[in-house]
Amino acid sequence: MNLEFERIIPSLPYILEGIPTTLKVVAVAAVIGFVLGIFLSILKISRIKPLNWIADFYTSIFRGTPLVLQLMLIYFGSPQILGIQIEAFEAAFLAFGLNSAAYISEIIRGGILAVDKGQREAALALGVPYSGMMLNIILPQAIKNILPSLVNELISLTKESAVVTIIGLGDIMRRSYIVGGETYKFFEPILFAGLIYYVMVMVLTILGKVIERRMRRSD
Amino acid sequence: MIKIDELKKNYGKLEVLKGISTEIGQGEVLAIIGPSGSGKSTFLRCINLLETPTDGQIWFKDQMITGKKTNIMKVRENVGMVFQHFHLFPHKTVLENLTYAPMKVKKLSKAEAVKQARELLTKVGLADKESSYPNRLSGGQKQRVAIARALAMNPEVMLFDEPTSALDPEMVKEVLDVMKSLAHTGMTMLIVTHEMGFAKEVADRVLFLDQGLLVEESAPEEFFSNPKSQRAKDFLEKVL
Repeated sequence: MNLEFERIIPSLPYILEGIPTTLKVVAVAAVIGFVLGIFLSILKISRIKPLNWIADFYTSIFRGTPLVLQLMLIYFGSPQILGIQIEAFEAAFLAFGLNSAAYISEIIRGGILAVDKGQREAALALGVPYSGMMLNIILPQAIKNILPSLVNELISLTKESAVVTIIGLGDIMRRSYIVGGETYKFFEPILFAGLIYYVMVMVLTILGKVIERRMRRSD
Repeated sequence: MIKIDELKKNYGKLEVLKGISTEIGQGEVLAIIGPSGSGKSTFLRCINLLETPTDGQIWFKDQMITGKKTNIMKVRENVGMVFQHFHLFPHKTVLENLTYAPMKVKKLSKAEAVKQARELLTKVGLADKESSYPNRLSGGQKQRVAIARALAMNPEVMLFDEPTSALDPEMVKEVLDVMKSLAHTGMTMLIVTHEMGFAKEVADRVLFLDQGLLVEESAPEEFFSNPKSQRAKDFLEKVL
């Protein structure tokens, strides 16, 4: 074993500066994924068949192709499709957001279906309109039950965000790779990047547990 | 107050209600009884349109509510419903269960809704439970909260779908007592029940349903002491 961590010590701040980039991509994509995921899940449980088809087709596309491919299509394809080159950040927000919406919509759909049908009837019997019934009665209960799955999705998103390296965003992954190239030492900086991801995932895990505990107050 | 004409409900090929007609007057208390599968619950659920009738008409205060243009939400505001399994909102406190719909649907201010909710909780004897979550309550307490929740919308009619069937025996009375006092206030009530003693005591009229048909309709004294139809006789023999 020939590890020389001291060689990369001067470069550690440079790698750490990638954290905001990673967090930004994850945060924006998570919001897009969550909001669009709720919307898609509602289409999926609709009684109107064409709406089911649209949402299912959407999911099949984003689950059926690699995330790297989606990111590349959006980033490199934008000049041909939109006539403008979109920013790497924008491409990352879109690709990760649209992709995780597909997964989140399936999680939420399952959560909604698991809520007792009586809840829907009780709300309707009180004259509560569909939107209120969904937002105030069904979704809060569904989300409480699927919280572990949602945290799981957020963790996946955090780690998969490393793929943005491919379109040149200076995230943790890319920076550690660059340091490797400059110092001819790849093992150390990439191991360091791994440590950063691990800590981030641990923080998310703890955060998820705290939120879960707060939401279980009514049990 | 409610007029029902040839009400029919099919699920696919299964005919659950085969044409039921009756009229319900203001302040009347109806007990709907019959063997399981007779269509009692479906009948009740058609009245607030939780089930869409296949055929036939329902009038609520001279307004036909089974037409295509009916504002179903408006009808439901005026028709309260109590379920066998309570269906309280588990993520809301008792007080929030009572204030949610009045604030959301009737646009009451929070202060008004809370004031009214507290009055109702006092009436059902649960004033001290307002900040509890439903999971902390016994079955009987849950059902009393559910009754209060329905009353919070100030309905003109209350539907009860086997309100005591899911309760432990010792909790049945507390719920029936609340229903009894509600009946004394002149509330129009339709009660699907297996509590024959309660039906006898509180109901103004008994509807006996069997196999989707209204077989018998009479005052409780008459129905329980001298049922006309053979099917009602057989049924009463089994349950009494």
